[in-house]
Amino acid sequence: MGLARPAAAPDDAPPPGRDAPGAARRRGGTTLKSPQNVEVYIVDDTFILRWNRSNPSIRNVTFSAYYQTLGNDTWLKLPGCQSVANTTCDFSSLKLNVYDKVKLRIRAEEGNNTSPWHNIDSFTLFEKAQIGPPKVHLEAEDKTIIINISLPGARDSVMWALDSSSFTYSLDIWKNSSSGERRTETVYSRDKIYNLSPETTYCLKVKARLLPRKNGIYSPVYCIKTPVANKLPPPENIRLDSKNNIFVLRWDYPYGSVKWGHARPNVTFQAQWLYAYLKKIPGDSSGKWKQIPGCKNVHTTQCVFLQNTFRKGIYLIRVQASDGNTTSVWSKEEKFDAQLQITLLPPVITMKSTNDVSLRVYISAPEESENKPVNQNFPLIYEIVFWENTSNAERKIREKKTDFTFSKLKPLTEYCVKARALIEDDKWNKSSGFSDTVCEKTKPGNTSRTWLIAGICAAIFSIPVVIYVVKLLLRCISYVFFPSSKPPSTIDEYFSEPPLWNLLLLTSEEQTERCFIIENTNTISAVEETNQTDEDHKKYSSQTSQDSGNYSNEDESGGSKFSEELLQQESE
Amino acid sequence: MTSRCILQTTLLLYFSTMALAMSNDLLRSQLSSSSLECQELLLQLNGTTEYCLKDRINFEIPEEIEKSRQFQKEDIILITHEMFQKIFDIFRRNISRTGWNETTVENLLVKLHWQKEHLEIILEDVKEKENFTWDNRTLLHLKKYYLRIVQYLKAKEYSICAWTIVQAEICRNFFFLNILTDYLQN
Repeated sequence: MGLARPAAAPDDAPPPGRDAPGAARRRGGTTLKSPQNVEVYIVDDTFILRWNRSNPSIRNVTFSAYYQTLGNDTWLKLPGCQSVANTTCDFSSLKLNVYDKVKLRIRAEEGNNTSPWHNIDSFTLFEKAQIGPPKVHLEAEDKTIIINISLPGARDSVMWALDSSSFTYSLDIWKNSSSGERRTETVYSRDKIYNLSPETTYCLKVKARLLPRKNGIYSPVYCIKTPVANKLPPPENIRLDSKNNIFVLRWDYPYGSVKWGHARPNVTFQAQWLYAYLKKIPGDSSGKWKQIPGCKNVHTTQCVFLQNTFRKGIYLIRVQASDGNTTSVWSKEEKFDAQLQITLLPPVITMKSTNDVSLRVYISAPEESENKPVNQNFPLIYEIVFWENTSNAERKIREKKTDFTFSKLKPLTEYCVKARALIEDDKWNKSSGFSDTVCEKTKPGNTSRTWLIAGICAAIFSIPVVIYVVKLLLRCISYVFFPSSKPPSTIDEYFSEPPLWNLLLLTSEEQTERCFIIENTNTISAVEETNQTDEDHKKYSSQTSQDSGNYSNEDESGGSKFSEELLQQESE
Repeated sequence: MTSRCILQTTLLLYFSTMALAMSNDLLRSQLSSSSLECQELLLQLNGTTEYCLKDRINFEIPEEIEKSRQFQKEDIILITHEMFQKIFDIFRRNISRTGWNETTVENLLVKLHWQKEHLEIILEDVKEKENFTWDNRTLLHLKKYYLRIVQYLKAKEYSICAWTIVQAEICRNFFFLNILTDYLQN
């Protein structure tokens, strides 16, 4: 604001007596300040620039504005905003692409005196544009008001050239008499307002909206009075249900038999449809309504038609009553989306028991039927209900996969399962019916067998360990309680000395042995270590002659061999 | 206590991301099938005639769409909504000089309108989110691009050649739209 910026000169010659614009000049002793609070105000095709004076005392101040498109270096004169005395100017004659970025600047001028520029950041005309108040034409009918909203701005609007079929209209309506109770509805440009009381004055106002964020200016308030109700009332509460491959259209008509004192003859109905998009296109769509097959001159408050009558799209349906002479006004137009009405068919489910006490479930798409025009290729999720046949405890899970397993079940038990398909979406909570229930028994448990095998293996591996431990124990016990009569091993060494060695040692006196050998054909005399007298020997030998045959000791047998050798030596 | 809290939070996050993923999938499958159907219908309209080659023009589709850089989910919804809306706005105009089958054009408009309405419903929700900055630049470039097409049609007085050129250009649009739709997959 108020920054002095060096700027390129405007296209034509600057005002006389000036050389460099943009600099605050002190002439006549006054410094002009640049305009304040400059804003761009655009409504439809009207572009207005507004600002405030910042030098109220100085008279004869005029203002000039310039513009520059992005990519262009030169500042061009803003048409309609050159040397204006007021604080607004209209530059609607500017021929510019509404989606192009543009920069504006403005300054105050007084004679040769100029203020610094006030710059406005670059913007597009479209983003600053507001939707102007629409024009509304009203007609009152039996308990309804027909509205006709004309597009804001001129027909060949530059601003809304691309958006003429994109506007939505928001309507506020209230009874003129009572204070509160405003109703807000979203309407098409040619639409009706229903459920009004007869002989009442209603007032309304409308604004246009454009996604994502443009809200227009409200129109002025229009008021109209509804006439006396005298025509045949229209059907109410139209709804559409789907079943298999047909649609059932139902409505209410509570005025059937007796009303106002005289009986009514048989009332017939007819239903019509229209493509909803026709309401968005400029032009009259009233001639484009078409008959729904099977819904002409029906006597009941419902009619049935095939689903493949309507392809994917959004439609409007209306119903009219007729009693032969007169026809009612058309009912409220119900919007209906053929896609949302599709019937999801229940899936086909199969179940198999597997070896490890679990059940594997397969879900497949339902059987293809004829007459399926509506696109059914949605990503589906399945809700599966799973329970034990005997108990009532159900387990509900949601799965996206079509092949999964329930594991960790009880062996030899029967389980049952059923599933349904879902399209889950915030706005569209649609599910199919449940499939058939399938039951299957689980296989006998393998767990006991595995435990057995494990036990056996463990036993096998533990046997050597046990044997070793037992052996150790026995050795301990026998050592303590049953000592062996074996001489200790150290003594053993003496007996296990080689004979040659002993032979050598015979020469020494200590080791000589005196033996008397008594020859006996049957006996072998034993050798003794002792150096006893002959008597003893005699005794001993007579004793030993009996036993000698029985001796089996190692050392003594060794000894006996030795004695034999002695015998041989002495005899030689 | 905390471990249970953590478990619950983890489960909540898991399921909520699953839920988001699922509705993304649904939108993506809807957009894909809409795009395919519209392309098929477009191709059913009578093809080009040789002498229209001189009417060719480069409409300069925005670079962001052509190069298909990765957008956020909300931006994709905004951009695809804008494209469907503008294509609808183009084909509702005067086609009397083309000799095209009116039923085919009608079906095309029905499908474009259907997809546009569905995107609008989502857009109303997305709009409520604060702290979201729209990619206004891409939107602006798109609007300029479609304005060029409409101005071209007006200038050529909706001739058959002009419409044929525009038909080819819109086919290209659907090609890029398909790529954009794929980015909805997380």
